[in-house]
Amino acid sequence: MASTRLIPVALRAAPVVMLAFLVGWAMLDVSTIGDGRWSAALFAVLLIGIAAVILSALLHGRRIRAIGPIAVGAAYVGAHAFVLGVQLMPALVFLSVLISQVELRILAERFSPLYEAALRPDERTRIHGALGRAILRLMVAAVLSVVVPVLAADLAVAGIVPATTIPTAIALAGALVAVVALLALLPSLSRKAV
Amino acid sequence: MRTPLSSGLAAASLVLLVAGLALRSWQVVLLALPPIMVLSLGSLFPPAKPRLSAVRTLSRERAEVGRDVEVKLVVRNDGPTLDLIEIVDVLPREFVIISGSNHAVVSLERGDAIPLSYTVRSLVKGDFRIGPVRVRSLDPLALGAEDAVLPIDARLVVAPTMEDLRRTKLQPRRTRPWFGQVPSRQIGAGTEFWGVREYAAGDEVRRINWKASARLDRLFTNEYEGERSGDVVIVVDARRESFVGTETDNPIEHGVRAALGIAEHVLASKNRVGLIVQREVIDWVPPAFGRKQLYRILDHLTQVRPGGEWPFAYIAWVLSRFFPRDCLIVVVSPLEDRTALTAVIDLEARGYDVAIVSPSPIAIEWRLGQQRPEDKTAYQILRIERDNLISQLRRVAQVVDWDPATPLALALRRIGRWPRPA
Repeated sequence: MASTRLIPVALRAAPVVMLAFLVGWAMLDVSTIGDGRWSAALFAVLLIGIAAVILSALLHGRRIRAIGPIAVGAAYVGAHAFVLGVQLMPALVFLSVLISQVELRILAERFSPLYEAALRPDERTRIHGALGRAILRLMVAAVLSVVVPVLAADLAVAGIVPATTIPTAIALAGALVAVVALLALLPSLSRKAV
Repeated sequence: MRTPLSSGLAAASLVLLVAGLALRSWQVVLLALPPIMVLSLGSLFPPAKPRLSAVRTLSRERAEVGRDVEVKLVVRNDGPTLDLIEIVDVLPREFVIISGSNHAVVSLERGDAIPLSYTVRSLVKGDFRIGPVRVRSLDPLALGAEDAVLPIDARLVVAPTMEDLRRTKLQPRRTRPWFGQVPSRQIGAGTEFWGVREYAAGDEVRRINWKASARLDRLFTNEYEGERSGDVVIVVDARRESFVGTETDNPIEHGVRAALGIAEHVLASKNRVGLIVQREVIDWVPPAFGRKQLYRILDHLTQVRPGGEWPFAYIAWVLSRFFPRDCLIVVVSPLEDRTALTAVIDLEARGYDVAIVSPSPIAIEWRLGQQRPEDKTAYQILRIERDNLISQLRRVAQVVDWDPATPLALALRRIGRWPRPA
């Protein structure tokens, strides 16, 4: 019973803690920038993100809520892409945690009310199962989103794939565009097939 | 169905890809991979298409405005296991949920069923349909959803409430040959004494006036005033311009309530009642007696919604063609347009007996307004205009200016017998 009460609290707290961690991480990295203009601009982006998160929490605004993670991610990626240089492993972990934070927030919104309502034992078991499967899938996605790019980078660094040639870049870009287009079209294609 | 998150991830990966190519940085290009990995995983395991069946039961199929109705819905999963589904039983917007919920987010295994139970109340009358049931199967990664609609409808007729007019004297002045409860000012079968005449062969013995017979040494018989029935036609003005106020507090809703009360009262006194409703169409019920007629009128009044741009005078056309000439016409109208005056004069000229019940639109507006000093001035001006119109109408018909916040019976009692005897 106690664990059932703790689950919604933990679910609601997890995205907040993760976002605070990401903001701290991004701030730390931005603060190491020596150039005042870059530093000020990126801090401004971060502050916009923090303000959006606080405002969305106060006003229950769903539209401005998306600005928060986008601004935090943009500040981090911008700092590393333009000034500090991209360190692949931390950057991948940052992006993966950022995506997981958004996913966790959605899971919390869906599952917390279910736990807060009076549940029968069989219902609780089913909800536990569904939440477990969702979290497992999220963890697999988070791990894959770090491991696969690292493997790709290792292949490139090992020289198996010539990483710094224009044809490779064009092929890679084409492949990515194709994947993104396919992913975007998949739902509508499957619906038409039905 | 794609969610905003999947679109956002696709956009983020494209931005990172373009930025990486622009900056000629393979590390930034690789940063486009995490969102793509999440999207790929979401595409590999899309949410299952829901295959469900549902059964809905209502505690009653007919209810009065403000009466609670219990709805029970059981949704059963006939398809694959659904990790997370959202179920909504679609309700008409006029309904208020009193207890329970018409919405649930649950996990359903194959063959499982989820019961939903809730109580609704309608604040307005009408013929409503509850349903369909909408179901959305959600992806655990929130990247997609599959929607389904279970086309099960349930009909719920919400009847208007009725004004209590039991103690009101309301009857037609002109009578027809059928027996009823209206004194006809003619000799006939009744209970009120009318006069005495000389006995004629065949007269009932119990009607012989023995005192008069003894005094005049001849037999005399009592005569009584015949009690007959008449026709009343209720005209409800539900044109768009008559709608003032909110969905629950407006002259049309109150007018319907009054019309139903009048119909019930007049039918209970063994008179015939007919109905004309001026809405998007001109809708009418020919005069008839009895309980069945009350239900017929109730069915027609339940459908009343504000609409239509008819001139008020069209009523005269319908009346002259489809209704008897010597009936009492009870017009239920907020009298928002001045053409009502000419229409009523026209009806009187055609020989109809007209009475008007007017739910006051300015009283409704005043109650709903902020009652600031400028509102008070406006209210007073409108009040004077309305009083002028009513006093002009009172020259040709009897008018009841009714504030719907008070019972109609009270407004009718203030004017005594209604309509006035000729």
